[in-house]
Amino acid sequence: MDIARSARDPYDEKLDSLTDADIAKILAEFRRRFKADDVAAVHTCVRCGLCAEACHYYLTNGELEDVPAYKLNLVLGVFKRHFTPVGRIAKGWTGAKRLDKALVREWVDVLFGRCSGCGRCTVNCTSGINIQSLIRAGRGALAAAGLVPPELQSTVMTAVERGNNMGIPREEWLETVAWIEEELQAETGDPAARIPVDAKGARYLYTVNPREPKFFPLSLLAAAKMFYAAKESWTFSSDHYDVTNYGLYSGDDAHAGLLSDRLVKAKEDLEAEALVLGECGHGFASTRWEAPQWLNKRFPFPVQSVLEVAAAYLREGRIRLDPSKNKKPLTLHDPCNLVRLGGVVEEQRYLLKNAVLDFREMTPNRQKNYCCGGGGGQLSMTRFAKRRLAAGRIKADQIRETEAKLVVAPCHNCIDQLTELSKEYRLGTEVKTVIEVVADAIVLPERGSS
Amino acid sequence: MASAPAKPAFLAAASAPRGYGGRGLIYAFGRGMLDKESVSRHRPTMVGGALYHLAIFVALGYVLWTALPVRTSPPPGAFRPALLVGAVVGLSLFVKRAARPHLRRLSCPDDFFANLFVDLYLALALAHTFVPALEPALLGASVLLFAYIPLGKIRHCFFFFYTRVVFGLHFGRRGALPGSGRET
Repeated sequence: MDIARSARDPYDEKLDSLTDADIAKILAEFRRRFKADDVAAVHTCVRCGLCAEACHYYLTNGELEDVPAYKLNLVLGVFKRHFTPVGRIAKGWTGAKRLDKALVREWVDVLFGRCSGCGRCTVNCTSGINIQSLIRAGRGALAAAGLVPPELQSTVMTAVERGNNMGIPREEWLETVAWIEEELQAETGDPAARIPVDAKGARYLYTVNPREPKFFPLSLLAAAKMFYAAKESWTFSSDHYDVTNYGLYSGDDAHAGLLSDRLVKAKEDLEAEALVLGECGHGFASTRWEAPQWLNKRFPFPVQSVLEVAAAYLREGRIRLDPSKNKKPLTLHDPCNLVRLGGVVEEQRYLLKNAVLDFREMTPNRQKNYCCGGGGGQLSMTRFAKRRLAAGRIKADQIRETEAKLVVAPCHNCIDQLTELSKEYRLGTEVKTVIEVVADAIVLPERGSS
Repeated sequence: MASAPAKPAFLAAASAPRGYGGRGLIYAFGRGMLDKESVSRHRPTMVGGALYHLAIFVALGYVLWTALPVRTSPPPGAFRPALLVGAVVGLSLFVKRAARPHLRRLSCPDDFFANLFVDLYLALALAHTFVPALEPALLGASVLLFAYIPLGKIRHCFFFFYTRVVFGLHFGRRGALPGSGRET
C-alpha cells in the first residue's frame, strides 16, 4: 500500500497503534451516518462488477481494489457484520467484514487513495447505488477517529482556523482586491470601477477559491470585469470569501457544515440577496446541495454558480461577447461535482459557444465525462499523487483527441490537475476558467451608456 | 437593501431544486436503465441478465398458475422457452462469476448460492412442465425461495426498485440527469 511508506510516518504509526476504543468510535460514527437509503444499498448491490470500467482508477490500473463495487463492499461489508443480524451470524456467507486494524488500513488506502468521489460509478451502476456518498460515509467514520490523511486534514483545519484553505491573512486578501480593482479600472478605462468589499445590501455575495487571490488573481479580475459589464450590484466579504470546503472530501460533516455556515452568515450579515459561488466544483456541491443537510436548516435564498449568473447576463443582454477575441481551439472539462453531481451542465456551454470561435466537446462529455482525477481531496493527499497522475491518463487522452490548445474548466481543483496532466502527458495545453474566457470576449459598454 | 426572504423559510426547499425529481424518476426507470456504460460495455451480460430476471418472473407466474384451482390456458409448453433460456443464462452467469478472477474475488458465497438456487428453481419449473408429478417439489422449492429472500442476496429484487427511485429523485432534483433540468 502507498500509505505504508515509512515507519517514521506518524500517520502510519497512528494506524498501527489503533485501539479498540478507536475502532468503536469509527463504528459509532459509521452507524450514525447510515440513513435508510444507505442501508438499502447494503441489500441492493449484487456485486455484478459492471461498474468497473466507469472508474478512471480501474481503467488505468486495472486492480481489483479500483473496482467501485470492491470499494463499496469494503464499506457495506462492515455495516453487514456489525449492524445486521444475518451479517453477524453468517459473516463469511454474506461478505460481512469485521472492522479491525487491517481493515481500517485498507479503508484508508482505498476510500481515500483510490477514489476521487466523482460519482461516475453511481450513474453507471446497474442499480443506481449512490456509491460516492457511501464512500464518503466511510471517510467520515475515519475522520471521527482522526484518521483523515494529514495533508487533507491540514487543508480542512487551515480553513477552519484561518478562514480560508490557503491561510491568506485578511490584509493580504484586501490588498489583492485593491490591486485587482486598479487593474479593473485600467482594463475598463473607468476610474470609478469598483470591487466592493463588505458592501451591505448588494444583490450578490460572491465567493471564490482562495487559489485565485493567491495564485490566479486574474480570475478575480475576470469576474469583476463581468460584473462591471453587467452593471451588477455585488460584493466580496472581507472575511468569508472561501467557496471551497474540504470537509466534503474528508467526510467530516461538522467541519464541512461550519465552513458552509460561514458563507451563509456572511451573506446574512451583508444582507445580500443571493450567494454566488465561484468556479469550484466541490464548493458548489457543498454549499448548493450538501450544506442544508450538514446544517440541518433551510436556505431561504438562492445559492447559484457564477456560471448560472453569467449565462443569465448573456441571455438577458446584460453582457455582450465577441467570440473573435478567443480564436484558439478550446475544449471544456466538466467538473464532476458541478456537472454530474451538481446539475450545472449547459450554462458553461452556452457561454463558451458565444465566447469562442472553435469550441470542441470531449468524448464523452456532460454527465458522462471522465473525472480529471483532481477531486476527492486527491490534490491535497500527496501520498497518493502517483496514482492521481496515472488515473488522469484517461482525461489526458480525451483532451488530446480534441486537438484543442486551450482547456477550460470551471473548477480550480480541476485546473490544477489539468495543468499537471498537461505537463505529465505533454499535451501542450493552456488551462483557464470559463469566466476568464468569457471576460476575454466581453465587449465593454460605452462609458456613460445606461 | 434588506434580504427578507420572499416566502417563509419552511416553504423554501432546504436546497431549492434545479431540476425535477419526477423527471429523474422517469429517467431512472426509462432511458437511464440503458443509458450507461454498464450496459454499453457489457451487452451480452446485460441481455443475459434481463432474460434471466424475466425468466424468474415467468417461473413465478407459472407456479402461481400451477397452484390455481382452475387451470386454464396457457398450457405448460408456453412457459418452456423462457424457463429454458433463463436456466441456461443463469448458469452462464454463475460460470462467469466463477471464472473471472476479479468477479470471483468480489463475490461472496451467497452470490454463488443465490444464483445456483434460482437456476435450479428454473430448471425444476421447466421439468415440471414435462412431469406434473414434480409439483410437490416445485411448490416446496417455491416456499424455500421465498423464505430465503429476506435472508440473502435475492432480496435485491425489492431493494433494487427502492434504490432506483432514490437515484431518480435525488439526481433529478439536482437537474443532473439528462432531461431533468429546469430551463434557466
